[in-house]
Amino acid sequence: MHSKSAYVEGKIFKELQKLINDDPGSWLNAISLWKSLLELDAKNEKLSQESSPPLKRKVEENEIIVAKKLKTEQMQELQENRECQLEKQTGEETLEQEDFITKREDFQEEEFQNDVEKAIVGHNQKDLTFRVSCRCSGAVGKTFTAQEVGRIIGIALMKQFGWKADLRNPNLEIFIHLNDIYSVVGIPVFRVPLANRAYIQTAGLRSTIAWAMASLAEIQAGALVLDPMCGLGTILLEAAKEWPDVYYVGADVSDSQLLGAHDNLKAAGLKDKIELLKASVIELPLPSESVDIIISDIPFGKKFKLEKDIKSILQEMERVLRVDGAIVLLLSEDHHRCLQDCEESGIPLNSKSSHIDEPGMKKCLNPEGENGISETASSSFQASNQEGLDRTSPFGSLVPVECYKVSLGKTDAFISKYRKSHSSGL
Amino acid sequence: MKLLTHNLLTSHVRGVGPRGFPLRLQATEVRINPVEFNPEFVARMIPKVEWAALLEAADTLHLVEVPKGPTEGYERDEQFLRKMHHVLLEVDVLEGTLQCPESGRLFPISRGIPNMLLNDEETET
Repeated sequence: MHSKSAYVEGKIFKELQKLINDDPGSWLNAISLWKSLLELDAKNEKLSQESSPPLKRKVEENEIIVAKKLKTEQMQELQENRECQLEKQTGEETLEQEDFITKREDFQEEEFQNDVEKAIVGHNQKDLTFRVSCRCSGAVGKTFTAQEVGRIIGIALMKQFGWKADLRNPNLEIFIHLNDIYSVVGIPVFRVPLANRAYIQTAGLRSTIAWAMASLAEIQAGALVLDPMCGLGTILLEAAKEWPDVYYVGADVSDSQLLGAHDNLKAAGLKDKIELLKASVIELPLPSESVDIIISDIPFGKKFKLEKDIKSILQEMERVLRVDGAIVLLLSEDHHRCLQDCEESGIPLNSKSSHIDEPGMKKCLNPEGENGISETASSSFQASNQEGLDRTSPFGSLVPVECYKVSLGKTDAFISKYRKSHSSGL
Repeated sequence: MKLLTHNLLTSHVRGVGPRGFPLRLQATEVRINPVEFNPEFVARMIPKVEWAALLEAADTLHLVEVPKGPTEGYERDEQFLRKMHHVLLEVDVLEGTLQCPESGRLFPISRGIPNMLLNDEETET
């Protein structure tokens, strides 16, 4: 027993050292990229005006990530957010994907890192101070603690590059995140969480999630976008900052939330773009089929009597939505499970669809990167289930398009997108 | 509350159905806000406008120079678009009421936010 664990220890130890010693060139490439991004950031700070989107979007270029390539931009965004915030928040918007296979020796740069093949060895690297922050779980975590891994890496780095360790205020921070599914080594470019927003007074939903939801919704210029449970307006704020030529309406039943939203809008200079209503999501004061897009964070928590409430919410949303309009919802695990059960029970037993809905269901649990797959699955799902759905499920004409599991820190949630396939006659 | 919003709002009092539109506007406090003119955006809103409702509301607020309907080739008519921009987006009703034309129910507007909530007896569901 003892010798086996010592063997395993030794093996891991060597692997960790190889991380640095096998390919110092790519470490140096990463450092010089990081430096140039910081310079870019500093330059932009001087030039930037109020309303230009901050460099939070440029996160794509800043990390060496050891992971398989992801297809959609949203997933990339979510993944990068995770890397950047490892130190501060636990379990940031992680995506559960089988695609996160990693080869630790293989330092592959992401597809969107353009031209950093210059090995700037002769860079003034000796005066760099650094710190290694580490998180380990799974098999590695059983053998070494995070501090031990951090120390191994730290010592190897010092030996290889001559950098000095500074635990208090280093120039360079290196994050290492090891578990059974993936291994990540990253260098954060920004020192504050990605979700920080200068223009939000009182934050509700984490802004990065709000942005991800808005971008899933495919907002077009001239659209009418509704958030019927807007709370403090976080989703509308993110959407309006990024997609300005759009008419946004937020509704809520709570005076205090609406006041908070009003203050947020004012602080962000978005009072002209976003209108607020005091109204209930199950009784929207809007004509049928008048809204292009609905984006909403369905409140979590036990006070929501799951099945009945979520059904009436969806029904009203479906009513006001135009045909072909999109709905993007943030659902708790419970709501999500409940809706999936509804989907399943809505399928009549005599239809041939039972084998077709499999990919549709699986889509939610293991989202594929290919939009092609999701579209085929949902359209075949729709074609065979139209009648059955109309009669029995609360969905009526809402067809599930895609869904992603995200982490909100302590809990997990699902971002689900639906499309209205035909007029529901309500 | 902008007139573009008023143009959408309907009453959901029980039994009212489609006759809950348009809501009759009464304003005690109105503010004109300059808003950045975006001709493409305004042009996209035009097909969605319910003109009778808009004209009625504009009339109540004594607005002048309100176009009576879309002109031919309105997308490129800057004068027309500017007028519509003003009417739809720059007029803000801060205090007032909206009245359901069928049931007479009053919905108050306070700090620019209309309160459309119904009591249990009034709702359709």
